[in-house]
Amino acid sequence: MIEKYIPYIGEEFIDELFLISRKLKGIKVLHVNSTKEGGGVAEILNRLVPLMNELGIETDWQIIKGDRTFFNFTKKLHNLLHMPGKEEINSDEIVYYLKITYENMNQIDTENYDVIFIHDPQPMGLVIKKQPGQKWIWRCHIDTSTPDPKAWHFLENFLNAYDACIFHMPEFAYEGITIPTYIIAPSIDPLHPKHIELSQEEIINTLTRFGINPEKPIILQVSRFDRLKDPFGVLKAYKLVKKKYDCQVVLVGAFAPDDPEGEQVYKELLNFATGDKDIFILNLPPNSHKEINAFQRGATVVVQKSLKEGFGLVVSEAMWKAKPVIGSNVGGIKRQIVHGITGYLVNSIEGTAVRIRYLLANPEIRKTMGFHAKERVRHRFLIIRHLRDYLLLINRLLKNND
Amino acid sequence: MGNSFIFKTELWISKYTGIKVYTIRDFIEALKVIDKLSLFYHVYINMFKYHDLPVHYSNSFAYWLYKNNYILLAEKISAIDPVDYYDLEDLRRDLVHILETNYDEKIKRELTPFYFRKAERQILELGYQAKDLKEFIEGFKNSSINSLFYHLITSKLEKKSLINDYSEWLISIGEAKKAEFINKLDIYSDNLYDIKKKILNILEDKK
Repeated sequence: MIEKYIPYIGEEFIDELFLISRKLKGIKVLHVNSTKEGGGVAEILNRLVPLMNELGIETDWQIIKGDRTFFNFTKKLHNLLHMPGKEEINSDEIVYYLKITYENMNQIDTENYDVIFIHDPQPMGLVIKKQPGQKWIWRCHIDTSTPDPKAWHFLENFLNAYDACIFHMPEFAYEGITIPTYIIAPSIDPLHPKHIELSQEEIINTLTRFGINPEKPIILQVSRFDRLKDPFGVLKAYKLVKKKYDCQVVLVGAFAPDDPEGEQVYKELLNFATGDKDIFILNLPPNSHKEINAFQRGATVVVQKSLKEGFGLVVSEAMWKAKPVIGSNVGGIKRQIVHGITGYLVNSIEGTAVRIRYLLANPEIRKTMGFHAKERVRHRFLIIRHLRDYLLLINRLLKNND
Repeated sequence: MGNSFIFKTELWISKYTGIKVYTIRDFIEALKVIDKLSLFYHVYINMFKYHDLPVHYSNSFAYWLYKNNYILLAEKISAIDPVDYYDLEDLRRDLVHILETNYDEKIKRELTPFYFRKAERQILELGYQAKDLKEFIEGFKNSSINSLFYHLITSKLEKKSLINDYSEWLISIGEAKKAEFINKLDIYSDNLYDIKKKILNILEDKK
């Protein structure tokens, strides 16, 4: 499978992967997270684990088990690590977390591995099982820069037992961390159905299936229906652009059945759109990868107008399809977009509108920016770079051990 | 085999140093003491990261200054060509000097934070070497831009030499002219893919 990446990055980069892997011959690696399907972590592990095995590094992936009470608590913990809120964790929940962690310790074999990657807070307590000589790495996929202190202290009890932790960007790392902290950006997989090449016919068919005119400029934002993604800001920017350009705006997202806020936002957006046939509010099932792919490829300009964002990898998804992206100057968006080169960083609705207008008026600029956007993702945000970083980190930790 | 050229490559991961600054004064003070590999990361690695994009500032110090509206400082820092250096302490001294002499202490405002990272480097042998020009060209063709980055730029820091690996070896086999052409390439202003083409042309006498 690994050779399938050669057309995207070149053979010499694959050769370098094999070179590092040779140094790691004979070691065993384990990844642990909380779900096999759904979400970015599972998506990347689905591909990363087979690739590591193909490189000759014996790698397994295991999932912790928990009930609703456990996952309600870890969801709360996740939110509190992201930012302080009204809720707080209580001692009953901590006891329950430890109970489920002990149950998982009996189920998940960590003893036969040299390196263990623990993804996010849910399986973090497994580190209690750490054996001498093993290297445990906590891979954090969330922004913990301003956590709720109590939630952080709970986490810290486990974190200090790890050999290293990884964040997407330094801004996401809490200041008080004392263990070695590495920065490894997330990535997209060019072989995933969401990113594979599509024929022009497939793109047009998908657009027309949803009533979108492929001949008319399309402004696109892909994000869940959440106020923090500022979908209303996108529509307001579109209204400003519409005064000068006959264009369409497409908001593609999803909301889970247990997400009443998402449903509310969706309904409000439909209300906002009433009477304008060029506004498309599309609530798609979670696995609509090919449709998202077609929308991104068919778009004229892609927008990511989030008010707050984690890494916002959806920006790289569009950049990989050679689209200039206009994104808010927040979170990981500002790490992906190089202002004026691969797109624009904006701070307001008016700013978004003016950049959209400029790009609609200048197809050559769109093309040039799209080219640079794709090159940036090729070098920085593809899975092969992600894999290489992991291998280098493993090598570094084991070598220091020697 | 004493005179063989051994092809190598350079890879790295980024480690956060935990040092975060909000003012130019704190930035200067941090520059004076940070690990050399932090200078290496922000000046050299970032030059590599952005070499294929037409960016205004190719090192992260200059980019941060620009974003915080210190245009003069950004320009002066970005004018430092890291390829001219073979000792990171000289680079540190020059960076601090430029900032100290061009910074108006009276202007005090809080900036977006600068996060100091450092590079943890890994140099790997590619597994092939060259004994003559023909083998060298073959090996060079198979080298990634990571390999070029090492042989043209960063190995100079290890050897404390102003001449890059390729040119040094070419001189040793009597190809002084080719060595000189390669050593004069403006790597800082170009991208490594184009530099690779240019070097290949020099090696194959197509220049």
